[in-house]
Amino acid sequence: MSSEDAALLIVDDVEDNRFALSRRLARLGYLNVTTAGDGRQALELVKSKPFDLVLLDIMMPHVNGYEVLAQMKADESLRHIPVIMISAVDEIDSVVRCIELGAEDYLAKPFNPTLLRARVGACLERKRLNDELRDRTGELARSVEELRALGEVSQAVNSTLDVESVLSTIVAKAVQLSNTHGGVIYVFNEQDQNFRVRATYGLSEELIAAVKTQQVGFSDAIRQATEDGQPHQFADIEEEPASAVREISIRAGFRARLVVPLNSTDRVIGALVIRRKQPGKFPNHTIELLQTFAAQSVLAIQNARLFREIDQKSRELEIASKHKSQFLANMSHELRTPLNAILGYTELILDNIYGDTPEKMRGVLQRIEGNGKHLLGLINDVLDLSKIEAGQLTLSMTDYSLKQVVHTVYSAVEPLAAQKKLQFKVEVAPDLPAGHGDEHRLTQVLLNLVGNAIKFTDSGEVLIKAAADDDTFSVAVHDTGPGISAADQAKLFQEFQQADNSVTRKKGGTGLGLAISKRIIEMHGGKIWVESAPGQGSTFRFTLPVTVVQQHADRASHSPPTVPSSSA
Amino acid sequence: MKILYVEDNEDNIYMLRSRLTRAGFTVVIATDGAQGVALAASEKPDLVLMDLGLPVLDGWEAARRIKAAPETSGIPIIALSAHAMPGDAEKALAAGCDDFDTKPVEMPRLLEKIRALKPESGAS
Repeated sequence: MSSEDAALLIVDDVEDNRFALSRRLARLGYLNVTTAGDGRQALELVKSKPFDLVLLDIMMPHVNGYEVLAQMKADESLRHIPVIMISAVDEIDSVVRCIELGAEDYLAKPFNPTLLRARVGACLERKRLNDELRDRTGELARSVEELRALGEVSQAVNSTLDVESVLSTIVAKAVQLSNTHGGVIYVFNEQDQNFRVRATYGLSEELIAAVKTQQVGFSDAIRQATEDGQPHQFADIEEEPASAVREISIRAGFRARLVVPLNSTDRVIGALVIRRKQPGKFPNHTIELLQTFAAQSVLAIQNARLFREIDQKSRELEIASKHKSQFLANMSHELRTPLNAILGYTELILDNIYGDTPEKMRGVLQRIEGNGKHLLGLINDVLDLSKIEAGQLTLSMTDYSLKQVVHTVYSAVEPLAAQKKLQFKVEVAPDLPAGHGDEHRLTQVLLNLVGNAIKFTDSGEVLIKAAADDDTFSVAVHDTGPGISAADQAKLFQEFQQADNSVTRKKGGTGLGLAISKRIIEMHGGKIWVESAPGQGSTFRFTLPVTVVQQHADRASHSPPTVPSSSA
Repeated sequence: MKILYVEDNEDNIYMLRSRLTRAGFTVVIATDGAQGVALAASEKPDLVLMDLGLPVLDGWEAARRIKAAPETSGIPIIALSAHAMPGDAEKALAAGCDDFDTKPVEMPRLLEKIRALKPESGAS
């Protein structure tokens, strides 16, 4: 602010004094000077236009300088204007009183020109600094308020998928922060290809009903904004073409309107419309702020849309997955029924129920039985895996003896090891605690590991080790087989994987055994892994809690997170 | 000792009857659930082997009716199922069956279950 711009008011009842002071000030470069002849006039002037400094004479008839000063300092809107008191007498009581009443400074007549210049200059500079501080503080407060509102809005966007409630929050905050009076958020509806009201704030019931029934196609503003993706404003809606909404808006006292489009990446999906009671242009700052709110609205709408799609897809996926599992379960049941008959009859013949079976025929029947049992094992594996995938495999928990499990497995496969002339050893730690878990499924896991070890080892030994450490069982199956490369180890526990596909043909198996074993051990809250290198043999290990309190969720099951799982 | 075997699959009837007969039991056959309930009353068997997936009346309902009638309620029932779905055993026990075994039947295991329910009349 240069000295010519500063607005000064001289209050003095003596015209000559006013004139003399004006001239002195003009000489100092203060050209914007107003004068008042009495206290009442002075008060009217400071209330009607802004002043930067008042030079106030104390001794005046009717309303004296002290009273004017007291009234100004008591008024919130005038308090910031500095006042220099002017007195004919330079006495201490008067100075004290002026300071007590809040005057910025004091000058005694006759004026010392140097002192006048210094005091007026200093007062104006202080006023300038104070004004600047006040503006900055105001801006800062507004920024803080905006940030807080944006924080609340983005929290609303992230914490709820209820679009209506998020949009209501957004439109309310937008209206409050932009110092306007009402707002509407429209969202494009794919079904009827029209914009629909999704949230309102500060509108009368009548106006809400009117904007809801209005075909948005008829509103030029919204159409324009949604076509070019730019904000459009109407400084005075009285100048807009007549429409039902316009009449009700005017009746409700609204005058200016701002339309901010909701821009998604490729198109406009709606609009944020703000109404204000005073006519006039909206400040750029307000438009920018509302664009931020519009962006938040787009996020909320898109989040909700994406969530709906994912929810729908995962439901479909879950149903498809259930169908698949049910199909596999039914299929393996249907496959097993005739197979059981084949195995049953074979056994009856081998049992000599139909008379003594000749030795030659016995050999063939044993081959039929062997192959049939192998086929049954494969079908059971597929069934197990489909049950696990459908989340239908439940562990039946009982107390069990790990030592007994090891011995069951040992007796079951010992003939196979003997046939291949392998050394087959068991090392069970003494005093193993009693376990709690699914004995049948754990036996299945160990049988699978030991069966594999014997299957893939052509010479040397297979060793089962079982031990307990605090509350954890650890079991290892070691063999002197060909070993497994690091790359193959990674695939080993996945479905339908064997280290080398050519072995499947040579050694048989579905490649499901380890995948099933892994799932079973994980359902017990345990871990299973392999330590091996080509030419070094392999050691498969698993650990599990001695006491399994609760079945662990199977990580691979297909239940989507949002749908409560209907586990059997 | 007389066993009532309720089963609709001819192969299963043939196989299990052969083995049970060989093991020394007298075997009476019913081929659906309703017939099973009727024969339980008229034949007074010592034990019932009940398949679950049966025509006319399923195995669960047949078991429930046998256990509900005072003249047959004392007859122990072992449910047999090849059903792949979980919960079959629980449902069978809830219907009043005394034990449950899975098909394909393994004779030693089945004989043990029969003996556990009828210790005084072991197969001779």
